[in-house]
Amino acid sequence: MISTGNDIVSLNAIDVARTKQHRFYSKIISASEKLLYDSPEFGIIPFENFVWLLWSIKESAYKFLQRTRYDLVFNPIKFEIDQLNIPAGFKTVGFNAEGINGCGFVNGPVLKGTISTGANQFYSRSLIYKEAIMTVLGCCENFNNTYWGIKKIATSDYDIQSAAVRTLLIEQLQKVLPFNELTISKSEWGIPVLLSSENDTRIPVSLSHHDHFIAYSFQLPD
Amino acid sequence: MTRQEILTELKKVIAPYTTNKEMLAHINEDTDLIRDLKINSANLVDIMIDTEATYKIEIDYDSADKMMNVGTCIDVISEKLK
Repeated sequence: MISTGNDIVSLNAIDVARTKQHRFYSKIISASEKLLYDSPEFGIIPFENFVWLLWSIKESAYKFLQRTRYDLVFNPIKFEIDQLNIPAGFKTVGFNAEGINGCGFVNGPVLKGTISTGANQFYSRSLIYKEAIMTVLGCCENFNNTYWGIKKIATSDYDIQSAAVRTLLIEQLQKVLPFNELTISKSEWGIPVLLSSENDTRIPVSLSHHDHFIAYSFQLPD
Repeated sequence: MTRQEILTELKKVIAPYTTNKEMLAHINEDTDLIRDLKINSANLVDIMIDTEATYKIEIDYDSADKMMNVGTCIDVISEKLK
């Protein structure tokens, strides 16, 4: 299935002290993933950000799987990060724009990962800013037709965020799809899909929001 | 503890993490933590940690898989309290 999973974490909304507690992070990352953090290249990322980076990758995988496994409960420890590559000279920068949209991940410092749960394997791309971490995940290593976007909004109200991320996604979809009257609908199980009044194609879309940040991702066929 | 007593305490644990106070006021065993109470998934671990502290129990990875709604949370807590 052509699909993606996406998650955003606002670093201003996390509890840093609590994240550093073993009883907290041990519910998110495994002992072998903790060892990954101890490797020298990850030393430039604060531990609490590393924990939430892995969370965002794992939740993205969960959202991908949820499309076909409706009763799946998100249990981060059951997703294992097999590889996570941080680019040489990586430096965290501020999210200085109101919004960023992209297709693929050819520009900028991107963390590339592989993750598995059971027999499923996924590939991830993560962006880390001083204020937020965003991951997009798919089942193949090619992200050339994967569209994504992040936006900072004025409110952290749940319902307003939910509406804002749909508006942002529709705006971007209308730039790349030749259809009008696009709407985001939810399946019986609460999974978002794109519908068009002119076309019966149902394109899976992934939406996320946390604190003042919203994000989306979707993949189009080659 | 009865299921009702656990529910009353669980409601206090959940309260800081939901903005949907109306749904919280009418919480029952079918209430879904994410869909109904609009709890951000990033706070689910907070709820698990606070639940462990409140009931002095440890929620293992397999038990965490069962905590989909208020009713299944009460199932897990009841089992751990035995």
